[in-house]
Amino acid sequence: MAELKDFNRTEIPNWCPGCGNYGIIAAVKKTLVELSLSNENTVLVSGVGCFAKLPYWTKVNGFVGLHGRSLPVAQGIKLANPKLNVIAFGGDGDGYGEGGNHFIHACRRNINITYVIHNNSVFGLTTGQYSPTAEKGRKSKTSLSGSTELPINPLALAIASGATFVARAYAGNIKETVEILKKAVEHKGFSFVDILQSCVAYQNHKNKDYYLERVYYLDENHDFHNKSIAFEKTMEHESSDKLACGIFYSKS
Amino acid sequence: MVEFVFRVAGEAGMGAATAADLLSAVALRFGYNIFSSKDYASQIRGGHNYHTIRVSNQKVNADVREINILLAFNQESLQKHLEFMSKDGIIIYNSKDECVEKDNLYLFPIDIEKIESELKEKNLLNFIFVGATLKTLGVKWDSIEEIIKQKFAKKTNLEIWKNAVLLGFNQAEKVYDLPDLNQNKNAQLISGNQAIALGALKAGLTFHAQYPMTPVTGILHHLTKEAINNNSLTVIQPEDEISAINMALGASYAGARAMTATSGGGFALMIESVSLAGMAEIPLVIVEGQRPGPATGVPTKTEQSDLKFVINAGHGDFPKVVIAPGSIEECYTETKRSFYLAEKYQLPVLVLIDKHLAESFDTVNLTDIEKDFVFDYDQHVNIIEMVSEKQLNKDGLFKRYASNESSRTIPGTKSGVYTCSGDEHDEVGQIIEDAEIRVKMMDRRMKKMNSILNELPDLEITGSDDAELTIISWGSNKGAIEEAVYLLNQEGKKVNFVIIKYLLPFQSKNVGNVLKRAKKLALIEGNYTAQLGQLITEQTGITFENKLLKFNGQTFTVEEIYREIIKWLN
Repeated sequence: MAELKDFNRTEIPNWCPGCGNYGIIAAVKKTLVELSLSNENTVLVSGVGCFAKLPYWTKVNGFVGLHGRSLPVAQGIKLANPKLNVIAFGGDGDGYGEGGNHFIHACRRNINITYVIHNNSVFGLTTGQYSPTAEKGRKSKTSLSGSTELPINPLALAIASGATFVARAYAGNIKETVEILKKAVEHKGFSFVDILQSCVAYQNHKNKDYYLERVYYLDENHDFHNKSIAFEKTMEHESSDKLACGIFYSKS
Repeated sequence: MVEFVFRVAGEAGMGAATAADLLSAVALRFGYNIFSSKDYASQIRGGHNYHTIRVSNQKVNADVREINILLAFNQESLQKHLEFMSKDGIIIYNSKDECVEKDNLYLFPIDIEKIESELKEKNLLNFIFVGATLKTLGVKWDSIEEIIKQKFAKKTNLEIWKNAVLLGFNQAEKVYDLPDLNQNKNAQLISGNQAIALGALKAGLTFHAQYPMTPVTGILHHLTKEAINNNSLTVIQPEDEISAINMALGASYAGARAMTATSGGGFALMIESVSLAGMAEIPLVIVEGQRPGPATGVPTKTEQSDLKFVINAGHGDFPKVVIAPGSIEECYTETKRSFYLAEKYQLPVLVLIDKHLAESFDTVNLTDIEKDFVFDYDQHVNIIEMVSEKQLNKDGLFKRYASNESSRTIPGTKSGVYTCSGDEHDEVGQIIEDAEIRVKMMDRRMKKMNSILNELPDLEITGSDDAELTIISWGSNKGAIEEAVYLLNQEGKKVNFVIIKYLLPFQSKNVGNVLKRAKKLALIEGNYTAQLGQLITEQTGITFENKLLKFNGQTFTVEEIYREIIKWLN
């Protein structure tokens, strides 16, 4: 049986100390171990951004392509060889901005891959501009008086676009994130996990404390087979301080 | 020589395409060579559309100006095409329209309304006209009936259509003779789009992703049909061109022989990914079917104005191949070559065509041209299934990008794990910024261009050995120029023709040598800025004083090239 170290490389991540990506890469490797996925039959696909370096620090087949384009690449890989386990990664700028169109259509198409978004509401690698998930009023280098745009609601968008598995996780809680990722990878069809994370460099107000105060996990009282309930749940954070994590919607 | 040029003209939706198909089917059955092209507006109903079908007992590959038989579906068609009629030509038209009386023409006005009311059915004009046309050429009813039955076997309207053709047949008289040549039994009438699809399939295509765009949508249609009964072929219509090329790159990385196709605007969207294919060393065949730009341009017409755009497409320096077939047969052969080069050298290969090649039809015998380019279609090229210890780095990753490594693995291969990377990378695909490795990797990629240059066929030159004038051109102009040069050679005029098929890497040495020897040069291109001329000047220092440039959306005809060459000779 594979162990965590089987997925390590000599090179170690160079993300900022305290970056949420450390939690995500740990959760991804643990998911691969716990699901007994081999490094030769798994492909991690990413785009461009801080998050996108994840495949460089994981000993698995990797495809690091263009900004916003991990989904079409991942779908092409899966269509060419359905036996491969394919996990695509995106950032909130990469996946919801640059690659937003691909996201909608990948949801509709329902090809059996997993899509994981590292969502920190800010452009990190270009030094801190507001992203498509930044809250209205967010000040940044390119929104000096505060952003006038509403943040997108990726979970609602995914459900509306026909995704068959929609979940949210928090990068700081690795154990819970692994459980969600395992279910996503095992799901037959397009599975989508939005992972909330902190950016220690440019998004200090959404730090670990911010998330720990708000994040809670959906339990058996949430009927994740019910699309309307799931849809409503994706809007809960708009009128409360609570941030639900877990499986919002699953068709199976 | 037996040769007839038919023109079927009318509004979109009147069935001109069906009439053209039926006339072509008869000519094909009788063993004739056919070249047929269509000129249409960017609208589904209405507008003025016409098909030109050139039928000959000799090989023909080009449009001509003069037509012999006009099937004028409406008044507009009569007015628009009368000036192109040859002496003793035939016009079939609706008796309710008015045709200017002109000497030396055979006119056959046909009372369509009467026939339609007799058959109690509307929209039969195209079938009635085909019947009349075939009668003027002395074709026997038995042959026509047999072809109709075969062509429309599955249609519920078969009987009505057959009767319409027969009633039309009875309205005309025999003027000429189209004898059954009883030859070319294995020839098929295919478009450039079909030729590319067939070439790709022959070369082992397993994945095609394409967003529809004129003039190459036909490729997507042909392959979609093919995929129904071909389990190893996946065809997908994604959300946009960026998705199309990235899906194809993903599939190719995973071991598929992959292709995408588009026109200039769609290719503009794909370009960042072309650069990725060069950097990450992923094989990919991309078909670019030109139409008049810029922007949406004139979407259903033809032009050759993407040459410089395509050879320069992509940020950064990376290896890339651009091939421009000159005929429908070459669309087949060069597509096969493109798959071979893409897979062997792991890079993007562009097949650059235009609307005139994509959507025109030619009689092609695939068995005859199979030998023009052959590789072991069923075997992967430069993909390994076993990786030795020596090929692994200290972490056990495959050194796919090592300087002495020309093979890749596909995911699923034991010990074949590496990172396929758009960032500059080391031997296993790990992201790096080290200056020394960067230079090594640039050398590794760029040296492919020299190896490819050594694999390309020789420059193609036709016509007189001791030519007074040498014509240079590329792409779909080939057929018209070849024919004009042939006619001039027959008349004792010393002209020859150099067709440039391989645009990148450019055979500058060969081209330079041939053109420097020429006594007088003339350039023919379908664009405003003489893009091939610029490329040749850049590569060889040779400049062109004599140019024939066309950018009105129309193709070159044999006659206009002939006339221009005469001018240049004097």
